[in-house]
Amino acid sequence: MATDITTAPASTGRCPVDHGQFGAASHDASGDSAEDHYGYEPFDMTDPFPSYERLRHHAPVYFDERIGYWVVTRYDDVKGVFDDWETFSSENAQAPVRPRSEGAKKIMDEGGFTAYSGLSARVPPEHTRIRAIAQRAFTPRRFKVLEPTIRENTIAALDAMLASPDATGDFLTDIAYDIPTITILTLLGVDPAMVPTYKRWSDSRAAMTWGDLTDEEQLPHARNLVEYWQECIQLVVRAHRDGGDSLVSDLVRAQEDGAEISDHEIASLCYSLLFAGHETTTTLIANSARVLLSHREQWERLLEDQKLIPGAIDEVLRYSGSILAWRRRALKDAEIGGVAVPKGADILLVMGSANRDEAVFENPDEFDITRPDARSHLSFGYGIHYCLGNQLAKLQAKIVLEETIARAPQLRLVEGAEISFGENLSFRAPTSVPVTWKA
Amino acid sequence: MTTVIYTAHDGTETIVEGTPGVSIMETALRNGVPGIVGECGGSMSCATCHVFVSDETAAIAGEMSELEDEMLDGTAVEREERSRLSCQIKLIEGETYRVTTPSEQV
Repeated sequence: MATDITTAPASTGRCPVDHGQFGAASHDASGDSAEDHYGYEPFDMTDPFPSYERLRHHAPVYFDERIGYWVVTRYDDVKGVFDDWETFSSENAQAPVRPRSEGAKKIMDEGGFTAYSGLSARVPPEHTRIRAIAQRAFTPRRFKVLEPTIRENTIAALDAMLASPDATGDFLTDIAYDIPTITILTLLGVDPAMVPTYKRWSDSRAAMTWGDLTDEEQLPHARNLVEYWQECIQLVVRAHRDGGDSLVSDLVRAQEDGAEISDHEIASLCYSLLFAGHETTTTLIANSARVLLSHREQWERLLEDQKLIPGAIDEVLRYSGSILAWRRRALKDAEIGGVAVPKGADILLVMGSANRDEAVFENPDEFDITRPDARSHLSFGYGIHYCLGNQLAKLQAKIVLEETIARAPQLRLVEGAEISFGENLSFRAPTSVPVTWKA
Repeated sequence: MTTVIYTAHDGTETIVEGTPGVSIMETALRNGVPGIVGECGGSMSCATCHVFVSDETAAIAGEMSELEDEMLDGTAVEREERSRLSCQIKLIEGETYRVTTPSEQV
């Protein structure tokens, strides 16, 4: 953490952006002034998009003293920082936003918790070395093999949901929870019966790293993280002992054949993949149903032409990404969009805003599955840390949409159901997606 | 002089002077050459910078890694014998590269 960050412009009232462009009158309206951060609430994921728009216009790079991060909201700036990994390190990507409480620390120390990051917060050259090994598991050649199983699982989950006598379900818990989680567990040689356990651990990981928890609230999550990490270590121990046909045993074999990767690094990769490998895909699948069904005319277009599905998934990723903001740290004095940021500055790249930047996307707040440039979204990041599982994630969302359309074209959101989103700095995940297929 | 000659699917040719050490994908993006997307930014994770290289280019482009080979199974237009991911070909001083871009990248 930089010590000179206290001299940052926003905290001393010197905003990097000209205040002259919006008159004193606009200061009366809530969310319209620098003093109230243009309405931006870092952990509130209910509907952050209007505040993003104001930030892009009035303070596209500003220091938010509430979280200690420079918040970056324009497309070119977000992409530029992602691309310049030599200046902007990912080392803070997995750091707890709120400091760990003494109680949580004690639980984690005593539980032998030594995990930090599998890949996302590692930096070259070690990141390059480990990613090259891990990436082998995520090529099209590998996951095309998985496709029939994913489809079978999807059909089974849909049939189970559609058997509900009251013709209602929750697309999040009935469909989106299981499909990607079973896939990644299977890839790593974990019994799919452990889906609920891994979901519990993953919720804790998201809360402990990107949440706004009190000291007391941290305790149960700390215990979960200890359990989670110990299980990752056991996966490596078992792979050494029993061999087997999974990514973990592949990595262990690679190590035995001379690949430069330690047991701790393999366990860390498990810790990473058993979270990142389903958490955000669950959200993507839930969001696909939520956003498409709330834009009925677009859903109808999909029913008519299934070739529109891949484009629709990219538009969901642009319009409502699973991760709206991701972190970097300046390794030297640098400039972002003409604003000087000091060495050591922590930076929050708001992809959720970049994806709606009117300088790049026409009518950015409109959801349009035939948008030609939807794929330019930054929801998977950009550059050396680009989401390893991007194609697997999209494949799973595609299979779910295809099978849902085939089985329940009449699916719709339950009328009047309020869909809420958990509090988080980065992840925007609906807590339920109530659906019905009543005639 | 280091040169890249891009031929689009429709036959349009774009000739660009490149910088040694920079990839064919990045050279295309920097110069606004159409036909290459490069969605992931060069980390071999998206297969949207697929090109067909000439025989001469294949000879100077370096060996294809196993990972690149597997990623080429996921290109929008079916791979061919001379398929490469253009993010993996870094320009060498004084050489001339010829690539044809496929009709689709996504």
